[in-house]
Amino acid sequence: MVNHQNQIQFNQKTQFTTVALDGSIKKIENPLFDWKTNVSIYDVHPFFEILKDFVENYSPENSEFNFPCIHLEDKKTEKICDVSIKVDQKEIKIVLFDYTKKYNELNEIAQQRNESILTAKELALKNKYLLEKEEFKNDFIANINHEIRTPLTSILGFVEVLEKTQLNFEQEELARIIKRESKHLTALIDDMIDISKIESGTLKVVDERFAFINLVNGFEKSYAKIAEKKGVIFETHIDSSIQEYLIGDRTRVYQIINNLLNNAFKFTEEGKVTFTISKNYQRTNKTSLNFKIEDTGIGILEENIPYLFERFTRFNHDKQISGTGLGLAIVKNLVDLLNGEIKVTSEPDKGTTFNIKLPFKFEITKTSTERKKKKYTLPEHKKKFRILLVEDEEVTQYLIMKILIAQGRFFVDVAINGEQGINYIEKRHYDLILMDLTVSKIDGFQATHIIRNNYGDKFISEIPIIGFSGKADDKSRDKCIRAGMDDFIAKPFEQEELLYKIIKQIAKKAAD
Amino acid sequence: MTLSKKVVLIGHFGVGKTSLFRRFIENEFSEEYKVTLGVQIKKKAIQLSDGRELSMIIWDTEGHSNSVEDTRKSYLLGSHAFVYVFDLTRDDSFRNLNIDLEYLKETYPKVTIKVIGNKLDLVNEKEAILHLKEKNISFDYLTSAKTNKNIENFFSDLAEKITE
Repeated sequence: MVNHQNQIQFNQKTQFTTVALDGSIKKIENPLFDWKTNVSIYDVHPFFEILKDFVENYSPENSEFNFPCIHLEDKKTEKICDVSIKVDQKEIKIVLFDYTKKYNELNEIAQQRNESILTAKELALKNKYLLEKEEFKNDFIANINHEIRTPLTSILGFVEVLEKTQLNFEQEELARIIKRESKHLTALIDDMIDISKIESGTLKVVDERFAFINLVNGFEKSYAKIAEKKGVIFETHIDSSIQEYLIGDRTRVYQIINNLLNNAFKFTEEGKVTFTISKNYQRTNKTSLNFKIEDTGIGILEENIPYLFERFTRFNHDKQISGTGLGLAIVKNLVDLLNGEIKVTSEPDKGTTFNIKLPFKFEITKTSTERKKKKYTLPEHKKKFRILLVEDEEVTQYLIMKILIAQGRFFVDVAINGEQGINYIEKRHYDLILMDLTVSKIDGFQATHIIRNNYGDKFISEIPIIGFSGKADDKSRDKCIRAGMDDFIAKPFEQEELLYKIIKQIAKKAAD
Repeated sequence: MTLSKKVVLIGHFGVGKTSLFRRFIENEFSEEYKVTLGVQIKKKAIQLSDGRELSMIIWDTEGHSNSVEDTRKSYLLGSHAFVYVFDLTRDDSFRNLNIDLEYLKETYPKVTIKVIGNKLDLVNEKEAILHLKEKNISFDYLTSAKTNKNIENFFSDLAEKITE
């Protein structure tokens, strides 16, 4: 038998068994298991069923078999053995080598090795799953955003139209509530989009020159109204040495301050809200500003402060106070993105103070007044201007027509898809096209491409085009401009903004 | 004389061969992964449709990390069926499946070969089937040792097949 003598020398735990060809055990030497003679080996353990095949197919060349690492057990004992079998024409010889200890040691090593491989694979799988989930979530949010913005545009737009009609006091109040709630819903969607962008790391910070003092004045104006309504004092203090124009991300600065001021007023029923802007330092073209928003509101319990900037955190469960619990999480993330710092101190029933440090740059040479939002008026050479609206949704068609026709300076034609839009511009001269990006047959981008490239007639190829869509992100805006459009407006838009953009494009074209 | 047939479970490590084995023999399942070293053997009596009883001797072998050729040859001696088990959540457990099957068919032409995709509880069945189709993987059963899905059906079908 293969090296048995050698193996035996090193291993005292070896059982020799002789079995008759019918399977009955004839002799056991040096037993490892409690087997009895004259008992069938097939009843001892299912492993030995294999012997039937060996006996049946016996040949002198096919008579020795070795099985390493076989788990054998009887009622009392469990062992891991190497098994050698030799079959001849008279009997079967079985040698069991007990390597339980050695195999158990190997087992531990194999367990660790396999576990670490499986864990790594499991982690990779989880990672893939999470990435797919993230992608799905982002797509879902982008789509739902589009779907919600479209009807919201109509609601906001029609309320504005409604407000300009003869309304009694009750109707006016109802219209105001609808408008307020729609704006709240818009803000909620914006919060959802922002938190999703922050989480996926796709929120981009832009560095652009903006009218900082103008922004602060805007806060002063809008919150003064709220303060007056609530009977709360609102004070604003600004360091007069702060530049009128700064370079930074206006939208994100607005969001941070607006969120904190909004919270301050939300949780302050009496006393005052103070908004102070001071300089931390200024070097060459860099400055760091401190925004302090102090209120005398309900305050926050000390134990709640560490959780203040977590998502969906709301310590106040008063249903009269609206909120998603996302606001401060967004603020904290935005401050981090802008390389700033935020600190909060608070005392219940005495009030809360937020201190935000934000870095900005400024242009040393520019004069302060040069880039104010320019006012545009419609040229006087025409009484009325013809606008082509390419839009397939009836409600939006109706809303935009209502807004434009009410001005008394526009004719409006409506095309329900890109193809029809192209047909119209070939037949009639238009002063401007309002192009929905997702119309059927030929979408807004393709239609713009055709208009800009397929016509030698400048009256067609140079018509100002404003794209509009429910997808209010920077990508849509950039894509529109790259496609050859002149401007972009996101749904839901306000009447004033829509008219400003239309008048601006018509005035610019007339000036060319 | 009782009819007995040897069935060997083969496949990558960690695909759930021992879980299938334990579920079928003892109707037990454990979430804990325990490596199988060598082979453990148990038998189970199965009632065939023609009234006969089959003693199925199941060899639960140590999983390989690459190819079925790594499985010890002696374990495969005298087999009536090979059950190739793969893990539906791990592509690497069926990456070499078609090559392995070819090898087994050539080396053991008389042995019945069945293929099982296990851990069905962790995947979406439709998506998994589509994925396997894309990867050109054929299988006989998709099972879950955890939920006991298709285990009995599979072994009953196998018993009928190897006693035809």
